[in-house]
Amino acid sequence: MRILTIARNALRRLFRDRSNIFFVFVLPIALVLLIGAQFGGGFTPTVGVTAPVGDELADRLVAELAELYQIREYEIRDELVLSVERGWVESGLEIPVRFTDSVLAGERPEIGYLSQPDTSGQGVQTAVSATLERILAPITAASVVSETQGIPLEQAEVVVQGVAGSVPPVQVETRTTGEALFPNLGQFDLGASSQLVLFMFLTGLTGSAALIQSRQLGVTRRMLSTPASTRTILAGEALGRLGVTLFQGVYIVAVTLVVFRVNWGDPLGAAAIMLVFGMVASSAAMLLGSLFSNDQQAGGIAVVLGLGLAALGGSMVPVEIFSSTMQSISMFTPHYWANDAFAELVRRDGSVADILPQLGVMAAYAVVLSALATWRLQRAITR
Amino acid sequence: MTNILLVEELERSFDDLLAVAGVSFFVESGETYGLLGPNGAGKTTMISMIAGLLEADRGSIRVAGQPMATTSTAAKRAIGLVPQDIAIYPDLTAKENLAFFGSLYGMRGAALNARIETVLEIVGLRDRADDRSDQYSGGMKRRLNIAVGLLHEPQLLILDEPTVGVDPQSRNAILESVEALSTDGMSVLYTTHYMEEAERLCDRVGIIDNGLLVAEGSRRDLVDGIGQNDTVHVSGTGDLRSATEALRSAEGVVQAAEAHGVITVMVDRAAGRLPSILATCGEAGVSVTALDVSEPNLEAVFLHLTGKALRDET
Ligand SMILES: Nc1ncnc2c1ncn2[C@@H]1O[C@H](COP(=O)(O)OP(=O)(O)OP(=O)(O)O)[C@@H](O)[C@H]1O
Ligand SMILES: [Mg+2]
Repeated sequence: MRILTIARNALRRLFRDRSNIFFVFVLPIALVLLIGAQFGGGFTPTVGVTAPVGDELADRLVAELAELYQIREYEIRDELVLSVERGWVESGLEIPVRFTDSVLAGERPEIGYLSQPDTSGQGVQTAVSATLERILAPITAASVVSETQGIPLEQAEVVVQGVAGSVPPVQVETRTTGEALFPNLGQFDLGASSQLVLFMFLTGLTGSAALIQSRQLGVTRRMLSTPASTRTILAGEALGRLGVTLFQGVYIVAVTLVVFRVNWGDPLGAAAIMLVFGMVASSAAMLLGSLFSNDQQAGGIAVVLGLGLAALGGSMVPVEIFSSTMQSISMFTPHYWANDAFAELVRRDGSVADILPQLGVMAAYAVVLSALATWRLQRAITR
Repeated sequence: MTNILLVEELERSFDDLLAVAGVSFFVESGETYGLLGPNGAGKTTMISMIAGLLEADRGSIRVAGQPMATTSTAAKRAIGLVPQDIAIYPDLTAKENLAFFGSLYGMRGAALNARIETVLEIVGLRDRADDRSDQYSGGMKRRLNIAVGLLHEPQLLILDEPTVGVDPQSRNAILESVEALSTDGMSVLYTTHYMEEAERLCDRVGIIDNGLLVAEGSRRDLVDGIGQNDTVHVSGTGDLRSATEALRSAEGVVQAAEAHGVITVMVDRAAGRLPSILATCGEAGVSVTALDVSEPNLEAVFLHLTGKALRDET
């Protein structure tokens, strides 16, 4: 009961601090939106194109697509492929050389279509196919007419206007490029889980400042003059940090679920990740709170650590695009395991059983950190 | 009568510094006991051990018959601590602070709310009870600090210099509350370095210096103990230190000490000694600006026992 009193008080004080309202309520959602707009492609996806220079039909195709999408042209195919892989463009279109000539010769030139197999890419693919069909069908037909009937192409085109659409269109051959980076991923899904991890840890860790304030204010010592034991006080403070951290997590999940319809995967799995990762964050806060006696110092370090570990752990940029050395380093952050667990749930439709290893690693973090914190704080309080 | 507090051979050092050097005393049920001593005497260190915040190196403490240590939750139920440094949450209101500490004492619901109203009344903070305490004046914060210690109606209220840095009006209000509580039968342990407070509030006073209890008793006992001496305060400018030296060997002077621009001189009887005190000061190059004579009091006792002046205030 006393533990709950202390924990509840920690939450109450979180909301008293006006600056927290921005960092806890506004910023996470703003970032989910921002990242959704970038990674998910926003509302006008970008299509990368390599096209033969001065090719009439290719130019027409690109011009038509430009009505629908933002177009980025590439001269070298490898650059296009890389861009698609990195998610800089949602899909890529490879228009082969001598495209117009091939079409006119009645051949069926293959247009290469590259995409990450995620939903926004699929949408682009359908639109590109439709556009191609619209442009090429009459021309293909005309060239067939011109050849078989022995009339000039211009005349044949006029003839074809009437029967447009009766000829099968050019085949668009679809290939996925590289490893599927983010399959089954909605526009905001990636941003939401990585920001959840970042903010749960950051908000939890900045709670170390409140812990130090309690000591500076003499309130912690005063608590010790009541029938609350050192263990109760520490457990209460730790539970308070956990409450703050979980509150941050639940808030982000709730808002993104309702507003952005983010897919959080298996609910039980998501709850387990949040609980265990929340324990990591709150015990890290307790340890930080035990190492410093100046709340502003600790607050500053909390922000640096919170952002730094998040960046390393793949909460700012997906670890998938890290070099292999960086990926190995990344595995030392608890964030890596939380992000990895969410990836398992969200992208690979995993269940709690599938994320047991990640949960185990995080639990180990929580145990070690809280043991260190308890040992340090017990001494700090009764000096 | 039973003892609410029994302290025996209490000792505590910080590194090389012996802050509390083997102190024994007791507080009877319903009694107000004062610990009077200058800055650094060891009052807060003693209080911290008595309240179970700090481990003692040696000695024993019993509160309401229960042994007190940092781990003794039973003994802690019996005490209410008002620490020297204000210990409340500035971002919470008076009511929220009180509700928080009240629940730590296991109080809840209507009983807690009623008790919160009562203590707010006692310290005179009712009309500001819903304001955040960082908007309070220094005196109001002190009063809230005291209210927290009163919440669970402790058997022993421990106040560590509760009037430090407070305006005269608030100070008087605080002293009146303590008097009222004492009249209602609460046992009080009160530390101060203000002689007047100890004289006004306390049934018995323990005088401490350098971690030692140098004397103990009622005001009357203590004052009688030093004989019929008067105290003369000499304010002046110049070399007060050498004037003090000279006064110590002057005729009829029992003790002399200097602090904060005032020389306190204890003489066998003031009437005949004032001219020679003035002369001695003049010879030492001190020009005297004010002179006052007082009846024997606790300050004189302190001077007599330690050879040091107690006074710290202006
Ligand atoms: N935590 C500590 N570490 C080291 N020394 C300490 C500590 N606490 C107190 N002391 C020293 O112990 C001595 C007694 O200090 P204490 O605070 O008990 O005195 P006090 O009588 O309460 O003085 P004041 O009237 O100024 O409050 C002082 O010399 C002080 O410097
Ligand atoms: Mg003190």
